[in-house]
Amino acid sequence: MKVNPFRLRGGLAPLLIATVLLALFPLIGVPQNWLLYLFLFFIYLALANMWNWLAGYCGLISLCQPAFIGIGGYTLALMTWVGLPIWQGLIAGAIIAALFAVIISIPVFRLSGIYFAVGTLIVPELLRLFFLNWRPVGGLLYGKGAGYAVKGATTIPATDIYWLTLIICIGSVLMMRFILRSNLGLGLAAIRDNASSAASSGINVFKLKFYSFVGSAAITGLAGAAFYIQQGFIEPTSAFNVRWTMVLMLATVIGGVRLEEGPAVGAIIVVFLHFLLARYGGVSLLIQGVILVFIMLIAPQGIMGSVRRALSHRTPHLRRQPARTRG
Amino acid sequence: METPVLSVAGVTKHFGGLTAVKNFSFDVQPGEAIGLMGPNGAGKTTLVNIIYGIYKPDSGKIRFRGSNIGGLSPHRICHLGIARTYQIPQPFATLTALQNIIVAAIYGRGLSRPDAEKTAHEILEQLDLSPKKNTVTLDMDEVALKRLELARVLATRPSLLLIDEVAAGLTEEELPRILEILRNIRQAGVTILLIEHVMKVMTEAVDRIIVMDRGEKIAEGNPGDVMKDRKVIEAYLGEPE
Repeated sequence: MKVNPFRLRGGLAPLLIATVLLALFPLIGVPQNWLLYLFLFFIYLALANMWNWLAGYCGLISLCQPAFIGIGGYTLALMTWVGLPIWQGLIAGAIIAALFAVIISIPVFRLSGIYFAVGTLIVPELLRLFFLNWRPVGGLLYGKGAGYAVKGATTIPATDIYWLTLIICIGSVLMMRFILRSNLGLGLAAIRDNASSAASSGINVFKLKFYSFVGSAAITGLAGAAFYIQQGFIEPTSAFNVRWTMVLMLATVIGGVRLEEGPAVGAIIVVFLHFLLARYGGVSLLIQGVILVFIMLIAPQGIMGSVRRALSHRTPHLRRQPARTRG
Repeated sequence: METPVLSVAGVTKHFGGLTAVKNFSFDVQPGEAIGLMGPNGAGKTTLVNIIYGIYKPDSGKIRFRGSNIGGLSPHRICHLGIARTYQIPQPFATLTALQNIIVAAIYGRGLSRPDAEKTAHEILEQLDLSPKKNTVTLDMDEVALKRLELARVLATRPSLLLIDEVAAGLTEEELPRILEILRNIRQAGVTILLIEHVMKVMTEAVDRIIVMDRGEKIAEGNPGDVMKDRKVIEAYLGEPE
């Protein structure tokens, strides 16, 4: 079967080379702060991939990704408090995030389009309030807040955390590759192109979207948990923060939503912006917003969308825009 | 008498103050080809949408092989063996013609990817679409899209096929081929309900015609008789002064 021109071509070789190089970085004396930025890149890319899966391929504008991140992080932290090893906490984080997605899918899947987005937006806020007041283990904290330290996180070498997040990140990339080439990917493409036609061709639209929502939540929870191993401490206001949504939307949209390589390109830019704008503090979000608007104006389909169009001069049909989601 | 493949009994559907379908009943026997005709706005497509679970009827029953299918969602209806084409072709626009059919073969019929590909190639061949198999459907012309619409639903292997206009926009020279395709579909044992405005196709492809006007059945019978029916002529040409 001929590969759809809207999907990424090319083999796994470049990905493999990049992975090996990145894995070697801590061993060849790359500076610590570089590794920190790469760590951020890995986390952001995994999160952005999972958001692209929902927003780009399922038409689900999920604004509750911070809920999965926070739940992943909290599960990890609480597990370390009851004496379980970190790696079990990571896996539990992914599972609990997925279970939570199953539960909230009951109300939010009744909504569609913009209503789905708004419905999901309030979920992290509800969790933030809940975790501010819920303290299942350990005594009251000094001062306010309901934070937990991730016990034992300080004993884990930074390079181990770096490799862990590299694995999660590459895992998310491979997962997207696999999904887009599987029957699930084909079904999602059909739903995206024409939902009513997809349903009358035998596709259970709800089921495919539901699986995607839960799968995306699991990996988002896993990446969130990994992030909090590095942080060593979790508290509700930063864990369930809408800033997460900003970051992963920025990464996906700048790079190119519904393009397999879009989130990777976008995540590089977002991390680079963090690096550049770190000294401007509160103004940095404003500057990022302006950059987003600017990119949307010159490249409405994201950077990779424009690149693909520029590369496909000789095949005119590639230059046309794919149809928008209907129904 | 055999159980009808499709039985529509007393179906009524209102949209606000408008009665789109009014107490409509008919049966389709196995292997039969039925034509549904009527002026624009008569409610033909609405009726197909009701059968296909897109609209819920206000009253009345839809039975497929004797069991009630009212309230089932479209993908379930597809799995039961009912397929429909849309009046305006609804392809998966960013996929190729081949992929369009593969999707239907995988999800509509539960085939594995290799089997679905094989089936898709066969169906494309039958409908003369093979040269276009790797064309993204966004770039296909209307005539090819009509064929593709038929190809996609055939991939789900229906026993009952609801066709909402297949010949519109075709030239006189192209009609014999589409008639042949319809004949082949029937020969494969598929029961057909055909909505069509092109009379040549209607008279040659179906055994029985049901005429609909303003949501009601005004005539039913073999094509020759129905064409001479005074009510039918009035519905199309208006009442004589």
